[in-house]
Amino acid sequence: MSTASAHHPKLQHHFVSMDQQFDASKLGMWLFLITEILLFSGMFVAYTVYRVWHPEVFEALSGALDWRLGGVNTLVLLASSFTVAASIHHIQNDNRKGLVRNVILTIIFAGVFMFIKYLEYSGKFSHGVFPGEAYAPFGDHYGHYADVPYAPQFFSIYFVMTGIHGVHVLVGMGIFAWLAFRGARGDFSSEYYTPVELSGLYWHLVDIIWIFLFPLLYLI
Amino acid sequence: MRTLVGVFSGLIVLTILTVVTSRIDLGILNVPLALTIAIGKASLVVLFFMALKWDNRVNGIVLLLGVLFVSIFLIFTLFDTAFRGDLSNVDDTTIMDMEREMTGGDAAADHSEDGSAAAPADH
Repeated sequence: MSTASAHHPKLQHHFVSMDQQFDASKLGMWLFLITEILLFSGMFVAYTVYRVWHPEVFEALSGALDWRLGGVNTLVLLASSFTVAASIHHIQNDNRKGLVRNVILTIIFAGVFMFIKYLEYSGKFSHGVFPGEAYAPFGDHYGHYADVPYAPQFFSIYFVMTGIHGVHVLVGMGIFAWLAFRGARGDFSSEYYTPVELSGLYWHLVDIIWIFLFPLLYLI
Repeated sequence: MRTLVGVFSGLIVLTILTVVTSRIDLGILNVPLALTIAIGKASLVVLFFMALKWDNRVNGIVLLLGVLFVSIFLIFTLFDTAFRGDLSNVDDTTIMDMEREMTGGDAAADHSEDGSAAAPADH
């Protein structure tokens, strides 16, 4: 038993060192991320099955989604992933201002992403493009999809996949608001930044999901 | 930090690349190419942004196990859905292709440029 002199206040008594505690938390986070991947994989499998059954429908309907909006959103999310990685880099060097600045930038990028998502959704809703039974498109852009067989399935998959992804983005915004608050309060340092690291891992996963959603839904 | 900027630029370039290649009709290659680029981008994020490249091996193993189980999920589901009804089928074509041929019109109409869909127009 060593003396309590070099004992970091954030070190739980059941861990030997801060490093061990950090590694254990991180492994736990990776396990959680796997459950997230499996959650989304159910939807990706549904997508694949319908695509294999009706490839021509999916190919035609990817044109119904605006690749410019999807593309801008991809860049916005990539930028937010970069600012998260940068915030971790800053706190590892004890730069608290850099941490808070980048975390706030991340929240802003996430907000831009959700705003564009809102524009896309409202554009579809106003033309009767709803998920499931409510599907009844009309108007110039969407009207001719009314009688395409399996178009409702495509849009349902689109809404469910992007919707659950959007919920993850909203959750992430909440987490980063909390991190910005704690970072500004001075809770984190190069010794202890586990919450920043783990939230970062979560955010990168949300980014990776979108990296796959964008080409699958908007492009091909 | 320089690495992060480099990776970020790489991701932007790949995003532009996937948009550009999807606008060109490469026939059967469009889907695999888009997926390859997406996997490349995801790998960049995992290795550098999520820092698995320098991380404890066990985290990478956890990720690979996850990917393995997703592949099992996907592939074994497709064994069912892609060949449904074909176990007792002794014809050369799959049940799904036959159904497509029989229904003819609707679904195949989008693909009228390829020969197979044009055939059922007679009956």
